[in-house]
Amino acid sequence: MRLKTSLPKEPKHKELVSCVGWTTADELYSCSEDHQILKWTLLTNETSLVVRLPEDIYPVDLHWFPKTVGAKKQTQAEIYALTSTDGKFHLVSKMGRIEKSVEAHKGAVLAGRWNYDGTALITAGEDGQIKIWSKSGMLRSTLVSQGSPVYSVAWGPDSDRILYSSGRQLIIKPLQPNAKVIQWKAHDGLVLKVDWNSVNDLILSGGEDCKYKVWDSFGRLLHSSSSQDYPVTSLSWAPDGEVFAVGSFNTLRLCDKTGWSYALEKPNTGSVFSLAWSADGTQLAGACGNGHVIFAHVVEQHWEWKNFVITLTKRRTMQVRNVLNDAVDVLEFRDRVIKASLAFDHLVVATSLQCYVYNSRNWNTPLIFDLKEGTISLILQAEKHFLLVDGSGLYTYSYEGRLISTLKFPGMRADILNAQTASLSNDTIAIRDKTDEKVIFLFDAMTGRPIGEGKPLTHKLEVLEIALDQCGPSTERKIALIDKNRDLYLTSVRHLGREPKICKIGSMVHSMAWNDTANILCGIQDDQFTVWYYPSVVFTDKELLPKTIYTKDGSEFARAPHILSYVGAKVTLRQRDGSLVYSSVPIYPALLHEYSASARWEDALRLCRFAKDQHLWACLAGMAMANRDLNTAEMAYAAIKELPRVQYINFIKEQPSKDSSLAHMLMFSGHVQEAEATLLQAGLIYQAIQVNIDLFNWNRALELAVKHKTHVDTVLAYREKFLQKFGRKETNKRFLQYSEGVEVDWEKIQAKIEMELSKEREKAANTTVRSSVASRH
Amino acid sequence: MAKDPLAEAGFYFDELNKLRVLEPEVSQKTSELKEECKEFVDKIGQFQKIVGGLIEMVDELAKEAETEKMKAIGARNLLKSVAKQREAQQQQLQALIAEKKMQLERYRIEYEALSKVESEQNEFIDQFILQK
Repeated sequence: MRLKTSLPKEPKHKELVSCVGWTTADELYSCSEDHQILKWTLLTNETSLVVRLPEDIYPVDLHWFPKTVGAKKQTQAEIYALTSTDGKFHLVSKMGRIEKSVEAHKGAVLAGRWNYDGTALITAGEDGQIKIWSKSGMLRSTLVSQGSPVYSVAWGPDSDRILYSSGRQLIIKPLQPNAKVIQWKAHDGLVLKVDWNSVNDLILSGGEDCKYKVWDSFGRLLHSSSSQDYPVTSLSWAPDGEVFAVGSFNTLRLCDKTGWSYALEKPNTGSVFSLAWSADGTQLAGACGNGHVIFAHVVEQHWEWKNFVITLTKRRTMQVRNVLNDAVDVLEFRDRVIKASLAFDHLVVATSLQCYVYNSRNWNTPLIFDLKEGTISLILQAEKHFLLVDGSGLYTYSYEGRLISTLKFPGMRADILNAQTASLSNDTIAIRDKTDEKVIFLFDAMTGRPIGEGKPLTHKLEVLEIALDQCGPSTERKIALIDKNRDLYLTSVRHLGREPKICKIGSMVHSMAWNDTANILCGIQDDQFTVWYYPSVVFTDKELLPKTIYTKDGSEFARAPHILSYVGAKVTLRQRDGSLVYSSVPIYPALLHEYSASARWEDALRLCRFAKDQHLWACLAGMAMANRDLNTAEMAYAAIKELPRVQYINFIKEQPSKDSSLAHMLMFSGHVQEAEATLLQAGLIYQAIQVNIDLFNWNRALELAVKHKTHVDTVLAYREKFLQKFGRKETNKRFLQYSEGVEVDWEKIQAKIEMELSKEREKAANTTVRSSVASRH
Repeated sequence: MAKDPLAEAGFYFDELNKLRVLEPEVSQKTSELKEECKEFVDKIGQFQKIVGGLIEMVDELAKEAETEKMKAIGARNLLKSVAKQREAQQQQLQALIAEKKMQLERYRIEYEALSKVESEQNEFIDQFILQK
């Protein structure tokens, strides 16, 4: 990835350019100390004078009123805030008319920023004050007064906090009066510029110590650049938060969000005082000290999938290379490419007006459909369809170009979704809520309606990353999530009745990805590369989970790499320094998943015997148990030397009726209540009581016995035996109460139990006979 | 020689027998003087012309010397600034080289990782064939 810059031969401004701002992706306004405001139209390559400002106005900063607010389009006429050295800010219309001038600060107004919904403007001055103004320019409050000038200010993602520079320090101040202020020393020199991205919630700062740094919103340092040759005079996040640009004297740099630099350009610009990205994130403009305005766009982005490598060679051209036969195809587009995604045999390209869908078997005839709104901010792909996210909503399209569903939910902020907070699978869409980060909304991908009576999934902590598994039937859909403590949890998406359990399967997980062909999860746990061969095992046999995890020493990777994709047996990771590394995962588990999905247990057993791998046996045990194939499960458990489990399976096999064995299988997975319910439903009261007795769940056993007026003496007898064994006295009031009226006679009880069992056997035999008779007819 | 009464009256005849009031000798001297004066004026004029030319030439030379001097100063400054420019250029190139080096290092790591995957896969294939 690199920046392609263009700089006209002669500067259009006579003095230094102080600020630039985009209106659309093809139109830029620039202000200079020669009092001119110029409009640059990129489509026609024309520059025209909008207005010549009065001689006493030297502009410092320019910010356009935000265009879209959440999903709503702004109807108000387009205006921008222009701050100047005489302590005023001006609201200027698109035609250049100064609608309003407000006396704001003593000395120059160094920065002026609208918040994200356009309800407030913040200005920072040389006098060390920060003031908040209403949309019409009325003073709301003076937020900060300090002794040194405030060089730069930025809004937080929810517009409820601001970030500003104070000498060498950075300060985050919430707008609420008594909320906690975060303050830290950021640089060894004056901090000149800050920026805060709303999508990834990361902070950028650059200063006179010639460094730029990336922070998270708690002020923790994520990346610090090496010392550059010149002070950092400007920096700006791309709207999608994937990259940012840094400007200093004769320098323009493109960096990844983790801080490493993609490309460096050394144009003849003088100091770059201000940088601005267009709303679709494709164009970058810089205000240069020598009167130039520099334009740049990002080219040479790469997408890789299996044997295809796709490169964006020009703004409107892509090159597809098939590495197997070195065949090269060139794809041409009518407009600029904004976003692209390559996965599941399909390439989806969003340009400013249209969406192109290519099949990897045929690069000549794409499917083209028009887009309602221009700027696509995210494309997610699943095997059967893909999801487009633009400023106003989420749309699921099939690869044939048919609109399948449209998502709408209250409080939706589609513009700030990214691949970590939204996930797509063949039947489900998951989206993390923005206002309450503990909540995950789940939708049916086919209808766009919420799953499970509209009740979202709620975790106990803030969720950072979510991912849906890609394979298997929709009823088995699972979602993996990483919370604020970096713990990895797994839960099922669709459930009947009861709330699904959210099971923890890992801790210190920094990054994760599901496989595209099997439900295998990989992640970076602490410093290790970890693969959960069969994460769902946690729902059938929790203790088997550690045995199904495959770890690879992470020492071959640098600190905390990020997983980009997990396709087939290949995992692609991006290290902190930006280098791509690959890791291969054994292919057997994927095969095993395939066998288990098609219930080919014989083949599965053969595979495990061939591979001689404990992990694989453990997976097989879990899969067989989940699918209630007891013979296979028994063999698999035997292979991993889990003798108690083998015994229990044998016990289940010996159960007289189907209902009992089903109940015990549920017991095996720890679903006690379900097991009890199953037994009660089948009318096996004694068995249900016995299950509770076996679990020392005395109160429940007694309750059942009393309720069904049977086996009260059995419960009391077992209780007595239990107490005797431990040499304790009865203290439970209910037991004391019932033991008064009931006499315990072990012989009678044994006879009763025997009778119950034979009854069950008889019943089971009858049903088998009946079913065999039925099948004969 | 008899005295000429005319001469006594102050009248003289010249060679062309015209009557004169000035003594021929004086007249001759006068005309001689006139001649000489004319010559002198001529000479002075010539001299002035020559001197003027000289001055002009010297002026021109001075001017030329001045421009040459300026040129020399300019060139000298340029030389100095070229050195500085080269330095800046060198710095720029160095920065670009450092960037490329970093990219190369990334590619090297990527290559290593891929080689490792390749060897792992070869090993797997060998093992697979052997076991079959």
